[in-house]
Amino acid sequence: MAKRRAIPPEGDAVRLLENLPPRLAGDLRLTTTASTTIRFANNRIRQPHLERSRHVSLRVANGKRLATATGSDASQVGLESLLETARNLARIAPVERKFPGFRAPEGRRGRPVAFSSSTARSTPEAVSRMAEEVLAAAESAAPGARVAGVVVAGSETIRVVNSSGLDRSSDRSFAYGSVLVERPTEDPPVSGWSEGAHWDSGRLESAALGREAAERMARSPPERTEPAKLPVVLRGPAVADLLRFLASLGFAANGEVEGWSCLAGRRGKTIAPEEVQLTDDARSRESVPQGIDYEGTWTKPVPLITNGVAGNVVTDLITSGRLGLPLTGHALPPEAPWGDFGPVPSNLILAPGTASEEELAREVGRGLLVTRFHYVRVVDPGRGIITGMTRDGTYLIEKGEVTTPVRNLRFTESVLSALASIRAIGRARRIYSEGGGAVTAPALALGGFRFTSATLF
Amino acid sequence: MEELIRTALDAAGERGVVQSEVRVVAPDRYLQLAVRNGSASALTDSRTSALGVRVRTRRAWGFATTSDLRPGPVREVAHLAVRLARAAGRSRREPLRVTDEGYPRGGRYETSLRHDPFNSSLDPVIDLLRTAEKRLHVSRTVKSGIASFSAWEENKWFASSAGASYTSRIVHVGAGVSATAVRGSHVQRRSYPASHGGDFSQAGFEFVEGLDIAGRAADVGGEAVALLDAPACPTATTTLVLGSEQLALQVHESVGHAVELDRILGSEAAFAGTSWIAPEKVGSLRYGSEFMNVVADATERGGLGTFGWDDEGVPSRRTAIVDQGLLVGTLSSRESAAELGLSRSGGTARASGGDRAPLVRMTNIDLEPGDSSFEELLEGVIDGVYMETNRSWSIDDRRLNFQFGTEVGRRIVNGELGELLRNPLYSGMAPEFWASMDAVGDKTTRHLWGLPNCGKGQPIQVARVSHGAPSARFRRVAVRGG
Repeated sequence: MAKRRAIPPEGDAVRLLENLPPRLAGDLRLTTTASTTIRFANNRIRQPHLERSRHVSLRVANGKRLATATGSDASQVGLESLLETARNLARIAPVERKFPGFRAPEGRRGRPVAFSSSTARSTPEAVSRMAEEVLAAAESAAPGARVAGVVVAGSETIRVVNSSGLDRSSDRSFAYGSVLVERPTEDPPVSGWSEGAHWDSGRLESAALGREAAERMARSPPERTEPAKLPVVLRGPAVADLLRFLASLGFAANGEVEGWSCLAGRRGKTIAPEEVQLTDDARSRESVPQGIDYEGTWTKPVPLITNGVAGNVVTDLITSGRLGLPLTGHALPPEAPWGDFGPVPSNLILAPGTASEEELAREVGRGLLVTRFHYVRVVDPGRGIITGMTRDGTYLIEKGEVTTPVRNLRFTESVLSALASIRAIGRARRIYSEGGGAVTAPALALGGFRFTSATLF
Repeated sequence: MEELIRTALDAAGERGVVQSEVRVVAPDRYLQLAVRNGSASALTDSRTSALGVRVRTRRAWGFATTSDLRPGPVREVAHLAVRLARAAGRSRREPLRVTDEGYPRGGRYETSLRHDPFNSSLDPVIDLLRTAEKRLHVSRTVKSGIASFSAWEENKWFASSAGASYTSRIVHVGAGVSATAVRGSHVQRRSYPASHGGDFSQAGFEFVEGLDIAGRAADVGGEAVALLDAPACPTATTTLVLGSEQLALQVHESVGHAVELDRILGSEAAFAGTSWIAPEKVGSLRYGSEFMNVVADATERGGLGTFGWDDEGVPSRRTAIVDQGLLVGTLSSRESAAELGLSRSGGTARASGGDRAPLVRMTNIDLEPGDSSFEELLEGVIDGVYMETNRSWSIDDRRLNFQFGTEVGRRIVNGELGELLRNPLYSGMAPEFWASMDAVGDKTTRHLWGLPNCGKGQPIQVARVSHGAPSARFRRVAVRGG
């Protein structure tokens, strides 16, 4: 395991929180990020971006009235200014009756999570070289094609301190690459896609991503196909999207608190075939791990679907109080409560099966192979219905073989119906992650997936 | 601040750098107050700072940013920006071109407002939110009530190695309420004045007072409950009348993004996608019916996309995008405009903060009003559907195939609005849909909507944009119940 980087000099957060005025309690997050993002398009690097940032978030509880102040200045003066701001805001806050107070640092120390110091120290030149590798591999595999994508590498350190004596920190390293290979001037245009993520940029296999995207691009014009409910093979990126929406609509805390979760009343019941095992595990080396959440709780594996049976939602301090459920270590920064959903599983891992992609196609017989989705949005949260488009590699499956490329289709389907119709699970898995969180997923064969319209390409 | 900017520009002045620009946003302030079911789901005062250095060499850009506004870290990111540009230049043989047009030599833009939310007590705001949220709960079936207020303050300094400079202070505010009624797996939401957090404007607190969210809250809660018992929207190909807010989002998704020149040229292909518009078709492509007129207007009072200069120092302007159905313009930056052979940028390069590089973004993209009153839009519709307030939205990566859902539908029968319809959806292909628009509402149906959550770019940037939109009527549209 690589040596951890020291957290840069900062004001004394511990002293600030130890000396809060009477009736006040608080917790503070200090997040330090260093990352390089190299975007490329039209076969050249276009938007190189490097970021060095520090973010401080101080939440104050005046009794059960909570408010948060955030800023970039982590000096003593900066911290004291945040305290003043948060304190003033907390004065007018509504009472949060279920707030249990900030937690003392009880329990065993979590083991360190996987971290790559070389990824964290990635230079602009190194990340640019990775982008060049993707470009070169894709251009070599598909001469004359247009290539676009991104490579990202960097790290984030989170330190959480609270007035009950907790002081924890965790480092996260991350690397991500995605590539689109297309022939946009063909009528209709054709394209192929590949992506992957890892906590170690050395294992991203940039060149392989470029080759894979090129290989997935159709060699003949896509044909029209009629929208219908069809069996499908979903490649990893498409599965990752389905699981993200399942997590938000079925396993996020707010939906359970307010009764609009698509799994409300179905916890403990079978919602998928017995082979389906879905866990949220922010500590796993098979994900892009993070050791603590934004309240300083050690992260841990949380079973979401076990042998096809739905488990409970994930929680933070407040929602665990509201629901009477254990704290699972899924707190988000209080200033970014993730819209409607609240705490949401963010390191999803779907257990692999035994099937190759060819075997998944044979399981389907006649249907479609979908590489990825685009612009997926919620249509009806209560029934888990989402909609989106297929993109960058959609093919017909006939007699168990992948045959003709087809034009893209819109799906409108319930994530629960999709889950219940799983027929087979792929054995190869990959990590999909951009930004916070990750999904580790194999390809899936589904018995039925509802396509509702077709597009022109 | 001027000294810090000089430090950055000096440090970036290395061999091979043609030009460098520095943007500082400090403070970049965001007030977020939200009451959800009686509790505070958000009560945050954020004051961050960031400095970004963008350098241009003969062949590439480099951008680096820091939140540490001390001379040492600032010099370091300036050097890093140069290293990035040099590394990026290795993959490119042809020169990087930008439009040859002027830069501001000083100047200041400030939001005109009466009641500054950043210099006022927040006590009345929280009282307003608590009152409004409470009124949403008209029955026990309302399981979730939310009342929210947001305000942003962006203090910006821009300067370049060529002597350009300007400063600005821009304030945006907004508020809204929404109620979610639940019965079993049936979930219905109603929002006011719009979904996605409400309505937003470049203004002071006076804008929020004018929304009267507390006065409207009980009706919002009541309609969410009523929708639980409403019939589903029928499946049909029929006449569709869209309310102003939903039409604003339709403009955003199927016009605004489609006419971004970076998308048209392929620069966003892998992430946001491209466009169905071919670069050579600008000026000759029929986008919609003769009733369709769209402008990009960064000078419009109250718009979230209104400013003095964009983030490349190009002055704000009003540009025709669609004229009587014909595509005549695009949204562009100095680089994308030069790539298409244009002599000047559209002035729509915007960054979401000092920590992001400018991208081609929407400003205020408006569908111009027509001459029909709302009643005239309904007149002659024997059997059709009216939809308002966005609930779901999705469109393909070339901005062709779309599907939108709205919170509420109403049957149109013999020219009059009838019963409520739940889960209405409509779908289509952008050019066919816009070609089917046969009447556009007049100024009385028009509103300038603020949309605070437009995502684009890697790392992601969230832009605040506006859309002026009237109501309008479309023929032979596929509608159904979700």
